[in-house]
Amino acid sequence: MAKNNITLETTVEELVEKYPKAVGFLARHDVRCIRCGEPLWCTLGELFREDRVENPQLLIVELNKFLRKEKQT
Amino acid sequence: MKALLEKLQIKEVNFGACAGMDAWQEDSEGRELISYNPTDGKPIAKVIQATEKTYEKVVSQAAEAFKTWRMLPAPKRGLVVRDLGQALRDYKEPLGELVTLEMGKIKAEGVGEVQEMIDICDFAVGLSRQLYGLTMHSERPQHTMYEQWHPLGIVGVITAFNFPVAVWSWNAAIAAVCGDVTVWKPSSDTPLTAISVQNIANRVMADHGLKGIFNLLVGFGSVVGEKMINDKRIPLISFTGSTKMGERVAEAVARRFGKTILELGGNNAVIVAEDADLDMAIRTILFGAVGTAGQRCTSTRRVIMHKSIAADLTERLVRAYQQVPIGNPLEEGILMGPLVNVAAVEDMFAALEKVKEQGGKVIYGGKPLPEKGKQFVEPTIVKMPSQTEIVHQETFAPVLYLIEYDNLDEAIELHNEVPQGLSSAIFTTNLLTAEKFLSHEGSDCGIANVNIGTSGAEIGGAFGGEKETGGGRESGSDAWKGYMRRQTNTINWSKELPLAQGIKFAD
Repeated sequence: MAKNNITLETTVEELVEKYPKAVGFLARHDVRCIRCGEPLWCTLGELFREDRVENPQLLIVELNKFLRKEKQT
Repeated sequence: MKALLEKLQIKEVNFGACAGMDAWQEDSEGRELISYNPTDGKPIAKVIQATEKTYEKVVSQAAEAFKTWRMLPAPKRGLVVRDLGQALRDYKEPLGELVTLEMGKIKAEGVGEVQEMIDICDFAVGLSRQLYGLTMHSERPQHTMYEQWHPLGIVGVITAFNFPVAVWSWNAAIAAVCGDVTVWKPSSDTPLTAISVQNIANRVMADHGLKGIFNLLVGFGSVVGEKMINDKRIPLISFTGSTKMGERVAEAVARRFGKTILELGGNNAVIVAEDADLDMAIRTILFGAVGTAGQRCTSTRRVIMHKSIAADLTERLVRAYQQVPIGNPLEEGILMGPLVNVAAVEDMFAALEKVKEQGGKVIYGGKPLPEKGKQFVEPTIVKMPSQTEIVHQETFAPVLYLIEYDNLDEAIELHNEVPQGLSSAIFTTNLLTAEKFLSHEGSDCGIANVNIGTSGAEIGGAFGGEKETGGGRESGSDAWKGYMRRQTNTINWSKELPLAQGIKFAD
């Protein structure tokens, strides 16, 4: 199984810097990583809690899948 | 580009922590940050970000510098700020160009931003002789009562990419004449403009035999920003950014009883009344919505237009949008450059998907412009059936929502319905309509204008907004009071000890 690069402990700033496409993916899941053009300072875990994501772990898995697919294209 | 960077003393690799000339803090353990040109996606230069060690050095040196800086009379502090303004005049063109190169606003706006720095320095020099306190008549005989304003200490200035130099100067110039020192954390998207400004400030400080008055810490918010907002040595944090981040900053600073100046999100509207001069309104809306590619806090995001002029205004707006030259923001004649980064493009198109889900109709734009570059987009006009959830959010991109109204009360209600309260405008030739909009039953924003747009504020007024915009005020008017502490003094020059309220105690 492919290793998950992104975890709940990953900071939003790091995610936005390395994987800007993740911003669109997460926004479509009602999670906004950037506001006023600037990334939030928290971890993804914190952000998911604040944005009331029902299954944070599942969203992380989906995010990693999305990013792997993006890398391939 | 090389000549420009050399002129501004930007190297291929730069250190991001500084407390003055020869006080760049070198720590090779710092994480590397690459600054990219949003126009072509190519790297401009690298910055070694601040570490815990360099943070500590810079903040300690700033705390030391404050002890001597506060003892210098305010008009003398004003002379240092005067020289800073003079130095910025010398670097106006190259610094403005670097702003454009690093964050993508057109050159006229980049140079205009440096002019704003010069203007606030001039303002601050005059202010250095006007830090007035009131005197009051004491109720007790032979007593004098007055208030004085004292410096606070270190002011933490956290700025965003969209005004990478002007917002620093609003804070730093005012704080300096107030006797404070500043520690600046710029946006990670614009570290090079910050380093250039620090180089200019270093020379001015050195000319006066000073260091530690203007300090810099380039680093992630989750590293440097978090340290700043939780640092008890920093009594005031001036934060420019989103409402969401503002909540985090306000909570952390309040927990340690520090002060904040918050300049947070906006969702600014222009009301166009039935009697408005549409030529003026259209030019203003275009500048407000498309300028800086819709990435200003004061960008026009909503047009609330009277039904009787809606069709005409919409058609003319679309025609105006069709004529916007988009491209390299350094080129003459271009009016709209790229968005700041790929993430901003992603955020814009995710918002447009929501717009469509919520009944909005894109009537102009709405697409990326990959032939121009990864970060170029079409400025977009959306007709909304009502102010749905997405309209209540601030999307930091050139997306303009059009909404219709029947009467002024309805327009004001729509206007004030959003949670943000930064800037607002009305276009009307009717005095009664204008006055109502500016009254307490009108706009609920910190800035309310008549027959001019939502953006392009002058430095002489206090800048900031209400509600989720945070309530802070920066720049002109009496915003300086936020950078000082008020002390009430009572002096008894009698031989008696009368108590206030006529209280008798152990007489």
